[in-house]
Amino acid sequence: MSDDTSTKRPSFFRRRKSCPFASESAPKIDYKDVRLLQRFTSERGKIVPSRITAVSAKSQRKLSKAIKQARFLGLMPYVLK
Amino acid sequence: MSLYEVVFIARQDITATQVEALTEQFQNVITEGGGTVVRTESWGLRTIAYKIKKNRKGHYVMLHLDSPAAAIHEMERQMRINEDLLRYLTLRVDEHDPEPSMVLQNKDTGDRPRRPQRSGGERGGYGDGDRGGAFGGAPKAPREVAPTEVVEGDVA
Repeated sequence: MSDDTSTKRPSFFRRRKSCPFASESAPKIDYKDVRLLQRFTSERGKIVPSRITAVSAKSQRKLSKAIKQARFLGLMPYVLK
Repeated sequence: MSLYEVVFIARQDITATQVEALTEQFQNVITEGGGTVVRTESWGLRTIAYKIKKNRKGHYVMLHLDSPAAAIHEMERQMRINEDLLRYLTLRVDEHDPEPSMVLQNKDTGDRPRRPQRSGGERGGYGDGDRGGAFGGAPKAPREVAPTEVVEGDVA
């Protein structure tokens, strides 16, 4: 056992994930790419908060706009029952 | 002149040739107004995710335009008048994507088999209720109460 107590964390600590749109090869956020947008909505069709998906604030703004545009055009549902 | 991307949805019970005629009509408005039609993309008859004016399906057409604002306004005015159109969305874009859009690349036509089953939990469990139902959470199944060892002094 190491005695380095400073790095010890409670067991529920999770590694900070990085933004899925940060890298160079990341997909562009586009309202037409429903497959991509659907990954960021709940099974009810709600937009998942960025604290869960680890999307950066800037990307989250773009993302939510794209989702709302896709909803308006009927590419995505507003609600899923 | 700015770059625009227009998507419109036409009623499901008009024919494909009528959709083409409609598309041509809007393209003419743009060209007469001094703009150019960069590309036209027809997404065909797709299932709309929810009913719009009692239509479950619609013909989707996307236009890439390079046009002065006045011509766009005129086109939108005619779109509002036209009763065969369910909806349109005009966006100004910085550049046009020359490749076929993701709607066509993701082959499905919007008919989903009631959403693929997702193994729950993956996204932090907010269950079906989505923010708590009227009865505030059904009583949980009695857990098998394993006497937890209380180790004190482990957490600083």
